[in-house]
Amino acid sequence: MHDIIDFNVGDVHLERVLWRVIQTRPFQRLRRVKQLGFSDFVYPGATHSRLLHSLGVFHTARILMDVVRKYTHPFESAKADQALAAALVHDVGHGPFSHAFEDVGRRLGLKLADHELVSETLIRNGEISAEFKELGSGFADDVADIVSGNGSSSVYSAVVSSQFDADRLDYMRRDRMMAGTEHSGIDFEWLIQNLEVADVAYGVDETSLGQVQTFVLGPKAIFAAEAYVLGLFQLYPTVYFHKATRGAEKLYVELLARAVTLVRDGSTKMTGLAASHPLVKFAKDPENIDCAIALDDTVVWGALSLMADAKDECLATLAKRLRDRKLYKCIDVRTCIAHEKGDAAVGSPEADRVCADIRDEIAAWSDPQTGSAPRALVDQQTRSPYKKITETKGPLDQINIRTDGGHLVDLAQRSKVVAELQAYKLFRVYHDGDDFEAKSKIKQIVDARITKWQQ
Amino acid sequence: MATVEEARRAAAIIRDAGGRVVGRTRLQKMAFILEAAGLGSGFPFKYKHYGPYSEELSNASRTAAILGLLNETELPASWGGLFSTFEVNMPPDPNIPESRRRIAQETVSSDAIALELAATALFLFLARLTPSDPWSETKRRKPEKAANGRLDQARVLYERIRQIQTPIPLPPLG
Repeated sequence: MHDIIDFNVGDVHLERVLWRVIQTRPFQRLRRVKQLGFSDFVYPGATHSRLLHSLGVFHTARILMDVVRKYTHPFESAKADQALAAALVHDVGHGPFSHAFEDVGRRLGLKLADHELVSETLIRNGEISAEFKELGSGFADDVADIVSGNGSSSVYSAVVSSQFDADRLDYMRRDRMMAGTEHSGIDFEWLIQNLEVADVAYGVDETSLGQVQTFVLGPKAIFAAEAYVLGLFQLYPTVYFHKATRGAEKLYVELLARAVTLVRDGSTKMTGLAASHPLVKFAKDPENIDCAIALDDTVVWGALSLMADAKDECLATLAKRLRDRKLYKCIDVRTCIAHEKGDAAVGSPEADRVCADIRDEIAAWSDPQTGSAPRALVDQQTRSPYKKITETKGPLDQINIRTDGGHLVDLAQRSKVVAELQAYKLFRVYHDGDDFEAKSKIKQIVDARITKWQQ
Repeated sequence: MATVEEARRAAAIIRDAGGRVVGRTRLQKMAFILEAAGLGSGFPFKYKHYGPYSEELSNASRTAAILGLLNETELPASWGGLFSTFEVNMPPDPNIPESRRRIAQETVSSDAIALELAATALFLFLARLTPSDPWSETKRRKPEKAANGRLDQARVLYERIRQIQTPIPLPPLG
């Protein structure tokens, strides 16, 4: 740990405060939230925590800040301190099984299942904020603004959020290493050596807002940048969206949604959980931050044995399945499309229409019967190899390469491989392996719709 | 991917704005103000760094494009980015309240940044995310966007929208 918080270099005052932030309860909670949720169902070594990742992001942020220091005059140390602190605490709001927990929140309207909101709340108020006070009365708010993306965009905030941010540079390497996979490697040292700072244009819709500084790469790093984009692209199907991992997440979402619904309906006794259990308390008081941070992965793992004995049949079935890794079987619809129509058809608009129709037909057929586990669970995702673009697209959303002539060009213009990349899309339907009727019905819906394929 | 019903609701926003909306930001902020006024399409909004944003609306408009309910065209902006234009070819719905059409048409022709600032101030006020007045907080959160008189433009735009009688009156923001 002392290698991460190094009292011998940098701003000793900042690092002593951050050392104390690490000791706070909200930060220590991250020991009990795994970075990759259920990925250890597939890759048994992938059990690393969000605490480990957070320390890694801080370490990488310091390396990136050295690049900022080299290219930015004058270097603004106050902004640098805020960004480094933000790198350390950026994930402090993650709930149990991170993104799957957010799916539960979206379904049931639980505001504090949103990790961004919880992170912001924990940084602005409470133990972390109290430690930050030593660095100035507004320091905690400035850090929270960086984490939540408010405030001015600058190269300092790019350390925490950009195409080359410390978060992605850490998780790509750490997740790959812990999963034990050999693909998706990146040349971190070469990327950092070739990282520069330059002005790029940004705007809203058709209106320009001027220029902002961000990270760009020098011309010698084209192939390293290509590998960086391709690495992430390969991690989606192999690690992050592995069919077994996603299948476990689907069961988890159903399990937690069922438990919270039972508690809200006044049927806590049906859950197998005591009234004082953290999950029950959160279900009853979901806008209470103390209830939210009382939850972590270990709380859920511990609850599985209790819920396995629940009087509610659906809850008991789902808990036993997760506890014993008895996952649903997967029908990969896009693979079926590839088999029937060829690989080129998988990402086509007609494939998207086919998936939408199948999803609606399955929803109509599998309308859940009260009290029983779902017969079909649908999973669909789309991921671009670049960071997700939500509103206006622009140079800030791409990887910019500085040419020998000093111009900035999008990596996709210099790399044919990157230019050819299409978004990774998945559409899968999960069912109980022993429910042959469900399997047959799902296959029938899928086959019938693919047969109606329009050229 | 959104449901067909959600896709239809997304396309209907564009229809009520006159059949054409320029910019994802404009579409998002327009939909939020409609929602706040009780004239919305039922999409939930969260606060993101670009102001109120609905992932569900974004998914629904993508699905609407796949289903052929709308056309999304990406065009290069003069500043080097890309912006989307959404177009629908649907007949007007006579059952749509006039106030929804008026808000949609007021916002569709507004400056995208002023609209983002106005929607942000309204969201901050409604979600009680600001201890101070929502305009000051908006300026603090979006200093570059609020510069060059755009915050004043946003106030004027908001007041113009607020004059339209809506099922849920839009609050004064100071």
